Amino acid sequence: MSALTLYNYELDENSYRVRLLLSMLGIEHEIYSVNMLPGREEKSPALLALNPCGTLPFIKQDDAVIFGAEAILAHLARNHDAAGKWLPIDGPDFSATMMWLGFCAGPLQAAIKAREVAVFAVGGHLERLKADARAAFRIMDDHMTLRQIEGHEWFAADYPTIADLALIPSFALSRDFNIDHEEFPALRLWLRRFRRLPGFITMPGIPDYH
Amino acid sequence: MTMTSQPTWSPVALSNVIDPSTSTGALVDGAELVVWRDSSGKAHVWEDRCPHRGMRMSFGFVRGDHLACLYHGWQYDTAGQCRHIPAHPQLEVPQTIRMQTFAAAERNGIIWAGATADADPTLLPAEIAGLVPVRSLYADCTAAKALKGLAATPLPISADAPTVEAITENYISLTAGPIRLLVAIQALGKEKIALHLMANEGAPVAALARYAQALRLTLETAPAEAA
Ligand code: FES
Repeated sequence: MSALTLYNYELDENSYRVRLLLSMLGIEHEIYSVNMLPGREEKSPALLALNPCGTLPFIKQDDAVIFGAEAILAHLARNHDAAGKWLPIDGPDFSATMMWLGFCAGPLQAAIKAREVAVFAVGGHLERLKADARAAFRIMDDHMTLRQIEGHEWFAADYPTIADLALIPSFALSRDFNIDHEEFPALRLWLRRFRRLPGFITMPGIPDYH
Repeated sequence: MTMTSQPTWSPVALSNVIDPSTSTGALVDGAELVVWRDSSGKAHVWEDRCPHRGMRMSFGFVRGDHLACLYHGWQYDTAGQCRHIPAHPQLEVPQTIRMQTFAAAERNGIIWAGATADADPTLLPAEIAGLVPVRSLYADCTAAKALKGLAATPLPISADAPTVEAITENYISLTAGPIRLLVAIQALGKEKIALHLMANEGAPVAALARYAQALRLTLETAPAEAA
């Protein structure tokens, strides 16, 4: 079996999601740096032949390609986490993990788009996206407020899952599009907790404190 | 910066959401503050502005008993005096490089910021024993509207509006049956407030957190001119 290759762009938030899990699970991999800006290489014929969506990130191992951040996270957790915790496959932990993974692919997209508009100057209605991103963060903060009251530290289970990992980057990067952390005290505590997990890595926009 | 139109003490956060050696930003009537705890857990409130190039100190990090700026790493001690400039490690830092500081106090599970560095601690609300944290609620409305909403909304379990008692101008107590909810009101800016909620021990905290969530919807959707 050939090495797993991640096609990614350093400043792309979804690419960071995958790099983060690769690091936290200690998965050996190679990186292909795509010239997303300004080159739009992900839309080039060569890369479209691999990922017809023309999106980043995607991974390739032997002849198999998986695109879509959430799918890649699930794939990596299912195949590389012997303890089966990052993607719990049974009971309510599975359901809650899938629900919040869906939230990442749904309401939280506003935050991802808002950052793209603010940082990459791509087209989009920044104020509307910011309002939607704030609404998404509120849903998350309300959830974590109740989780904390009930004695839980993570979104979906009593241990971190790919739901936490998928949600973290948007909140950690929210200052890129001018949403501060002050209004979300439960998310601040959760982010601090997550940052202390083994294998955590940052990306530009997330301070390293060193 | 002056905050003369403000109460002497403004709530800025629930005590339990700021761990030792961490910092956060807070707004009081438009003024940007940084609230941080040193490694011993003592809370400090400063203007959220680094004397070097004006960057926000709330983006920074705590190193021992110093708050460090994220940008060029200047470090300030608990009195707000600059102690270390990484680009000039040998330099004896001039006394003039210091933070604008405000008084900070903890009372009834809440961190309060003084309007000045020497705000009178006897003006803090009286101590109430046996409180537990519920949550902070951030809402886009005026303090007046929040007060109205709080007075009109039944607390969990009971059906009637609560009994309201004003403790100070920005601190009220709501009572209904076995529940006592203490609400500290932070005016962030125009039509932006935070309510910091603590309850008596034994109160249904999760139900109160849900009550607050529902209250925010009321405060932000009801027409502003409704009496
Ligand atoms: S702006 Fe704070 S150290 Fe330069």
